[in-house]
Amino acid sequence: MLTPAVAPIEAKKKEWSPYTDNGGTTLAIAGPDYAIVAADTRLSNGYSISCRDVTKLAQLTQHCVIGTAGMQADRAVFHKLLRTRVDYFKYKYGKTITPTALAQMIANILYGHRFFPYYCFNVVGGLDAQGHGVVFSYDAVGSYQALPYATTGSGAQLLEPLLDSHIAQRNRTQKNPPMSKDEAIAFVKNAMASVSERDIHTGDFLEIAVITREGTQIITREADGVERIKLGFD
Amino acid sequence: MFQNKSEYDRSVNSFSPEGRLFQVEYAIEAIKLGSTALAIQVAEGVLLAVEKRITSTLLEPASIDKIMQIDTHIGAAMSGLSADGRSLVETARVETTNHRFNYGEAMTVETCTQAICNVCLKFGDSKSKMSRPYGVALLVAGVDEEGPALFHTDPSGAYVRVQVKAVGAASDGAQTALNEEYNKSMRRGEVEDLAAKTLKAVMEDAVTPTNIEFAWVDAGTRVFHAYTPAEVEVILARLAAQPAAE
Amino acid sequence: MVGANGESRYAPAPPKPSDPDGFCFHSPHPEVFSGQARHHHRHSHQNMASLKLQPADQKVLPKAKKTGTTICGLICHREGCVVLGADTRATSEAIIADKNCSKIHYLAPNIYCCGAGTAADTEHVTQLISSNLKLLRLNSGRQSRVDVACVLLKRHLFPYQGYVSAALVLGGVDFTGPHIYQVWPHGSTDSLDYVTMGSGSMAAMSMFESRYSHDLTLDQCKDLVHDAVLAGIFNDEGSGSNVDITIIERNKPAQILRNMDTPNTRLHPMRFQMPLKNTVVLREFIELHEAAPVAPAAVPAPAKKAEDEERAAMPLE
Repeated sequence: MLTPAVAPIEAKKKEWSPYTDNGGTTLAIAGPDYAIVAADTRLSNGYSISCRDVTKLAQLTQHCVIGTAGMQADRAVFHKLLRTRVDYFKYKYGKTITPTALAQMIANILYGHRFFPYYCFNVVGGLDAQGHGVVFSYDAVGSYQALPYATTGSGAQLLEPLLDSHIAQRNRTQKNPPMSKDEAIAFVKNAMASVSERDIHTGDFLEIAVITREGTQIITREADGVERIKLGFD
Repeated sequence: MFQNKSEYDRSVNSFSPEGRLFQVEYAIEAIKLGSTALAIQVAEGVLLAVEKRITSTLLEPASIDKIMQIDTHIGAAMSGLSADGRSLVETARVETTNHRFNYGEAMTVETCTQAICNVCLKFGDSKSKMSRPYGVALLVAGVDEEGPALFHTDPSGAYVRVQVKAVGAASDGAQTALNEEYNKSMRRGEVEDLAAKTLKAVMEDAVTPTNIEFAWVDAGTRVFHAYTPAEVEVILARLAAQPAAE
Repeated sequence: MVGANGESRYAPAPPKPSDPDGFCFHSPHPEVFSGQARHHHRHSHQNMASLKLQPADQKVLPKAKKTGTTICGLICHREGCVVLGADTRATSEAIIADKNCSKIHYLAPNIYCCGAGTAADTEHVTQLISSNLKLLRLNSGRQSRVDVACVLLKRHLFPYQGYVSAALVLGGVDFTGPHIYQVWPHGSTDSLDYVTMGSGSMAAMSMFESRYSHDLTLDQCKDLVHDAVLAGIFNDEGSGSNVDITIIERNKPAQILRNMDTPNTRLHPMRFQMPLKNTVVLREFIELHEAAPVAPAAVPAPAKKAEDEERAAMPLE
């Protein structure tokens, strides 16, 4: 009896994926008269550090900044698209887009890619018409929510409970008044340094965008103006 | 192409040697045949008022729509071919709705007007649905974050911002009357009275609650409101009670 | 995660006479190994095979702590000693589980072993082999040999087909001289002058390849190992925190330089204030119980503790 030749069973190759997670953490806080968007500048690839100084922030208008964790390539394209859309809005409607309108627009763009999403996890911070800080947090396909504070990216799970405790002040009998702008900046430095202690994909430098009525200032250096704001390098 | 000068008006997309687009000019002329429409903008809001020509006692006056709502905060009064006006308002409604979807906020009155004027230009080529210019003038009234605003569009696709404007058959007389009495700080009641008085002066028929139409966009609430015949009647009663000037 | 699977191996050095062949090794005291050997034979690989066949979503293995790691070691030919180095980061996925763990394990007074891979595997394998070496010393009355440690390790690892996820850098000095072995999780070993392992092995090897030579002094070797570990700490996200170094010289106690460099101290020190008695109490109640029966006068110390003390008192050699 002849036995038919059996083709060797090939191990199923892992399919190529268009997505990679380049890590990093974003953080946004809405204050009474300010908003803060912050992110580290590390670009990871697996266990490697591709670059120590890549921004995750994009200032879209005078009073609106987006911070994006996820995949670097998608973030770059997404920020570029948003910038053109913000410019076009100004040409078409004769005014600068408000953070609230921008928030809705971003959600629409993300949902427009529902079945091949941008691998972007965004936080948006800005000032509303009354000059109060607003923060919006997104998933990759356009679900979004206005929140008093938000965090996305590889260190989000570490940061969230810290924010619950120190900003929302959950389960406290006595609540402190909301943080002032300077207190919030100091808090952000501490919080992000804490994340970089425990999240391997977060580190190197910190960038903090501070949005007030006067406009937006992106702080990348310590008070002396020489030193970058450092996070863990390991 | 054309043998003599008079033939240039046969094409909607050819300039005459003098640089004129006759069909567009004729469309503007068509408005002068239309019923009178006027609009007055003051600090408190914007008023739209139109004459409705009830050509037969058997015509249902409520079926004539010369003032249409575009969005919660924008409305338009028209003069000319009302079918064209209705079609333009329809596109304006789509634009303002899309704007709400895209940005989660209301469109400004000027942007809405711009959207209408973009459509006004889309005629004459094989791709567009319209083979001729729109024969209608619109008075686009609304309130946005900048406050009350009033715009006037014509068939050429041009638009201008105005405080008071009258269009239609009796526009010359009405505009003169409005210019004389208009004052930026007029109250809503005064504006209603001025509009009613002006319409009464220029209309051939006697004004009744059914042959004129009013609408108000309030600066405070930013809401468009079309008057019911009962509300119009109140204005007319007030007008009748006033001592006739001169 | 281990950095050992599928990564390119460095060109092995020409075989040396001391390179052990595990299957030719005859112990003068076979009973020392017999218990361990029986243990191997009892072990069934069927569970592992069935685990592989399970769909991904049905895998039930718990997440193990890994030491995504930079470990390395080299021989200082000039002074006849070995230098081992390691970082101190332990990770669980992307979270740092331990910022200052110890990865240079004791095998014998003259033999130490750096471990990369699953923390439990590296710790238990080194403890087990350490015990067996101790038994061998007690039976033979001789100093442990590095090649013996290497054989014990590979004999343990090989039957587990790589499932005991331990990638090791074994180093020590015995009467034949200094030795560094690279031990892979599947049980293969290489005897080399300089070796790196773990996810930071590429970074560390970059330093070795550019600077290693047979003429280096011990101080230069120590600096080189230090810099190799630093390269891993700063360029590999699986490695981090501090540098541990162990130097083993002939007929000298090993120098254990734990945290010999701490280049990653906390930035922006914590200033989070939590006022006292500031937690919301939802419910408070006190339950009264009847008095418990009188406790026995003295609780005897656990037997294990006594055993430990006894062991500690025993001389190592």
